[in-house]
Amino acid sequence: MSSITPLRAAKGGAVSILSVLKDFGNFRAVDDVSIEIRPNEFFTLLGPSGCGKTTLLRMLAGFEAPSDGKILLDGTDISMLPPNKRPINTVFQNYALFPHMTVAENIGFGLKMLGKSAAEISSSVEEMLRLVRLENAGNRSVTQLSGGQQQRIALARALAPKPKLLLLDEPLSALDLKLRKSMQIELKRLQQETEITFIFVTHDQEEALTMSDRIAVLNGGKVLQIGSAPDIYEHPADRFVAGFIGETNFLEGDLMSSADGVGTVALRCGPVVEALTAKSVASSGAVTIVVRPEHLELVAPGSPQAVDATVEQIVYFGTDTHVHARLSDGTALTIRQQNRPGPKEGIAVGRTIGVTIPPRVAQILKD
Amino acid sequence: MSEIATAQDEQDARRHLLLSSPAIVIMILLGFIPLMIVVAYSFMAPGDYGGVVPKFSFEAYVSLIFQRDMFDDTLTFSSSYLEIYIRTAVFGVATTIFCVLIGFPTAYFMATRPAKQRNLWVLLLTIPFWSNLLVRTIAVMFIIRDEGLINTVLMHLGLIDRPITLLYTNFAILLGLVYSFLPFMVLPIYASLEKFDFRLVEAGFDLYASRFKVLTQIIIPLAKPGIVTGSILVFVPAFGAYVTPLLLGGGSHLMIGDLIALQFGSSRNWPLGSAFSIVLMVFVLLALLFQIRRSGQVKHG
Repeated sequence: MSSITPLRAAKGGAVSILSVLKDFGNFRAVDDVSIEIRPNEFFTLLGPSGCGKTTLLRMLAGFEAPSDGKILLDGTDISMLPPNKRPINTVFQNYALFPHMTVAENIGFGLKMLGKSAAEISSSVEEMLRLVRLENAGNRSVTQLSGGQQQRIALARALAPKPKLLLLDEPLSALDLKLRKSMQIELKRLQQETEITFIFVTHDQEEALTMSDRIAVLNGGKVLQIGSAPDIYEHPADRFVAGFIGETNFLEGDLMSSADGVGTVALRCGPVVEALTAKSVASSGAVTIVVRPEHLELVAPGSPQAVDATVEQIVYFGTDTHVHARLSDGTALTIRQQNRPGPKEGIAVGRTIGVTIPPRVAQILKD
Repeated sequence: MSEIATAQDEQDARRHLLLSSPAIVIMILLGFIPLMIVVAYSFMAPGDYGGVVPKFSFEAYVSLIFQRDMFDDTLTFSSSYLEIYIRTAVFGVATTIFCVLIGFPTAYFMATRPAKQRNLWVLLLTIPFWSNLLVRTIAVMFIIRDEGLINTVLMHLGLIDRPITLLYTNFAILLGLVYSFLPFMVLPIYASLEKFDFRLVEAGFDLYASRFKVLTQIIIPLAKPGIVTGSILVFVPAFGAYVTPLLLGGGSHLMIGDLIALQFGSSRNWPLGSAFSIVLMVFVLLALLFQIRRSGQVKHG
């Protein structure tokens, strides 16, 4: 029936995206992207809408051909293979379940197309239903299912042929917050149990941070940074990554000296801080440092090495409180404080507070 | 509580009846009563100059398949009408099949155009309706007759020496029927394909389906409501077609519709014409029941 035999391999495939370009007319959707994805990895493509992440995913699935460059799966060039010849399955954003088929027929569709026997299909369907914890849903119509259940069936359908690579195109975006949280954990579990390489596309940085082994941050068709969640959060490569992942504060200053990955920066607003620096940063000149709200410390106004700021807004989040303040030069600053039992300190809107930056938590950005 | 609900229900029922009464009156006046007249006529004897003599008689139904000897009144089996029934059924089914075969790709083509272009294609499809069916059928005659477009072109190209006889054949009737009823197939299929989510096609390819499998396993099953509707819209009028077989068949390849017209016209046998009409209706009803049951089964199976 089909010339490929998928893949009862215990491990997911390795993907090499080599200098891939994609042009739509004059618009370059994907611009010279190179990514190595390891076998059995939960890899996330993260970026705002229009950053090229979905186009990249569609090229992996085979719905678009790269304008230039190559895509290798376990060393074999698959760039020009049609989607039905690739041992790769997709979980679509809108699930794209076949409405005229039952749940079991949906899950068994891929295996049926591969020419598997009825017995093999039905045992695999049962296995998949168990995997996504919908054991009794097999005979139901997919249109009767809730969004979360449809999501699981879409996963089961894509996993049933045991692909080397599973592509997930913002699969959680249609779910409500609570369901999304539980599906994040579920997805991670499925990835670990099936040992299939997952490539997950999202614009939600929190989703990316909680699930991924590694993340590639994309913008304007280019890869800005590839790294683990802590890497990207704590050591953002540039201003875009720093601003896109989580809340952050940018402060201008002058680099006075740097050695062993630590630079001393004289901030325009006064204090001199020790900040982490990447190798590519020049040894002196104007720089921007980035510091996360939870790393800032509140002190009494006028303390040494502190900068004074006026509180503009206080937002209570339950586990923590965000204090939005402004420096005398107009720079906005967000400070996050963990909430502890007991009376709150005297922070109120309009008051002046002191803020310090502890040594070696801020990051110097390259320009 | 329950009393109030009952009163409310009664009031609702009365209102529903009142609101639907115009439709019911129209259906009784224009549908049910004429039908009952036809049924009544079919059980009467023919008048000498048309019309009916109000006298109960099975004669019309007997003469559907038997011929009464003029002298000794014995009944002998006659296949001449039966042939027409069978021809009608064959033409009806064949027209429907050809309309599906041509109409589905056409509708698919239209539904896959950019959204802005689609209305233009629908408009183009309706152009034939701007002129009368009779005019269009005669136009078909001009194309397929011995001195017509097809034969002239083929002879000029030197492909044939003598004209191929196309007019007044079964082929001509089938061509005419397919041409006349094709839009009724294309429009409902187009309507169901236009709503079709083409991401399902991608999902099919992603799950190892070939182009053929995507067509047969995903697109056609989901376009089925349109295909069923189109088939009914084509089959029913094709079954009762009158002008097309008369003109393109040259009077030698009659269908039930022509036979009915003949009975009410020159044969002056209104009861027989009425009996034919009843038979036609029963055939159509049976065919529809069959189709509805089949499509219902597919849905639940």
